[in-house]
Amino acid sequence: MENIIECIDLTHYYGKRMIYENLSFSVPRGRILGLLGKNGTGKTTTINILSGYLKPRSGKCLIFGQEIQKMDPVLRQNIGLLIEGHVQYQFMNIEQIEKFYASFYPRWKKEAYYELMNKLKVAPGQRISRMSCGQRSQVALGLILAQDPELLVLDDFSLGLDPGYRRLFVDYLREYALSENKTVFLTSHIIQDMERLIDDCIMMDYGSILIQQPVRQLLDTIRCYTATVPEGFELQPEEGLYHPSVRKNKLEVFSFLPAEDMEAKLKEKQVPFNDLKADKLNLEDAFIGLTGKY
Amino acid sequence: MWKAIFYKEWIKTRWYFVLALLLTLGFAGYCLLRMNRVIVFQGPAHLWEVMLSRDVIFIDLLQYIPLLVGILMAIVQFVPEMHHKCLKLTLHLPYPALRMVMTMLLSGLALLVFCFVSNFLLMGIYLQQVLAPEMTKHILMTALPWYLAGLTGYLLVSWVCLEPAWKRRVINLAISVFVLKIFYMSSTPEAYNSFIPWLFMYTVMATSLSWLSVLRFKIGKQD
Repeated sequence: MENIIECIDLTHYYGKRMIYENLSFSVPRGRILGLLGKNGTGKTTTINILSGYLKPRSGKCLIFGQEIQKMDPVLRQNIGLLIEGHVQYQFMNIEQIEKFYASFYPRWKKEAYYELMNKLKVAPGQRISRMSCGQRSQVALGLILAQDPELLVLDDFSLGLDPGYRRLFVDYLREYALSENKTVFLTSHIIQDMERLIDDCIMMDYGSILIQQPVRQLLDTIRCYTATVPEGFELQPEEGLYHPSVRKNKLEVFSFLPAEDMEAKLKEKQVPFNDLKADKLNLEDAFIGLTGKY
Repeated sequence: MWKAIFYKEWIKTRWYFVLALLLTLGFAGYCLLRMNRVIVFQGPAHLWEVMLSRDVIFIDLLQYIPLLVGILMAIVQFVPEMHHKCLKLTLHLPYPALRMVMTMLLSGLALLVFCFVSNFLLMGIYLQQVLAPEMTKHILMTALPWYLAGLTGYLLVSWVCLEPAWKRRVINLAISVFVLKIFYMSSTPEAYNSFIPWLFMYTVMATSLSWLSVLRFKIGKQD
């Protein structure tokens, strides 16, 4: 499958602080990929590199086969960009902003924009600066849908939105991306929204990628194992066992191992356990299990 | 596409432009009214005598007005671009970034030039009715560096506003103050006559500075 985004060996530092080293990933055409990570793991850094507003210390990032920093401006017609906080020109109103953007995009779909705006019930002359964050998110989404890009890059699309607007945004976006075979690369702090939306996920840890795989595959394989152990027992983390913790006499550990393998592993490590149970997880729990609470 | 860029800049600056036009015309008109009062009460001969013997030009009040107008134009035009990093939206448009920045500057300069030319026309039309052509030229040539300072001030403050890092902004501001001081080194009328081509060159050169800020913005420079 053709890759729309290809990042190869990205390394970036802010001063002496390493964000990541030799980060590589790709996004194939028609997939919705979510970038998940705790604060400070480099999500916004990656979005900034992808949108051409940050030059990595080394490595390269290709979109539609062209290096983003040297990209032919015309190719940007095919990239829809949503900035964190649904930022748009605050000094414009709904009509002015549509008129402005329409001149730059040959495939501009005015009706897609106004279809969404009609649901907002705001006056056409209302300035964007006087809109709520939810309304602004709809304006930003409407503009991206009207632009009709091949690739959508969305930075923390759920920031500041109430549950209703988040759901509206996710449903609209998913329907649009699936029906038009669009590629989407996004980040969000609200992982429940991601579960409804994304096909693939990249989970970032400090300095590297923890996992990259389809969400369905992740949720089918990852388990939270609980067991009863003597109070005060400690299990050290190792490959395949993520963030083990013991509270009172309850052991909790996350793993991709099947139940039989996990049982064998605990026995091999001479863990004094009883009542081993395996629970399936949703994406948020899987994220916390793999990256830890702290 | 350039029309759309002008449209966006016009939306940002239109109310300020009206205000700037009224303000500059108001100040120029007030200076002319003062001259008119001298003519009405003491006769045109007295006005000529004062101008020739004491080197008075009657429009000193205008000295810093174009500079103030130019600086505020840059702030009105470029602060909204930097607010929440809106400039990212502008530079993401499928239009060459250099051409985009230059078109934005051109739109601000066009409004300022309109404003300043209207001032010159107002002064020129009135003065040629009451003064000898040499004296009209004397006044207008004295005012010319102030108006060039207005255009340069606009370009320099645009450079400062578009700069992404605060530390560098302070440095840029200090350089801007130093450059603008050159336009106000002498208060003697027509002191700059032979220097005006140089001042004009400074103005032209200041146009390219904003691009440096945008290049720094594009590679993600920050404090």
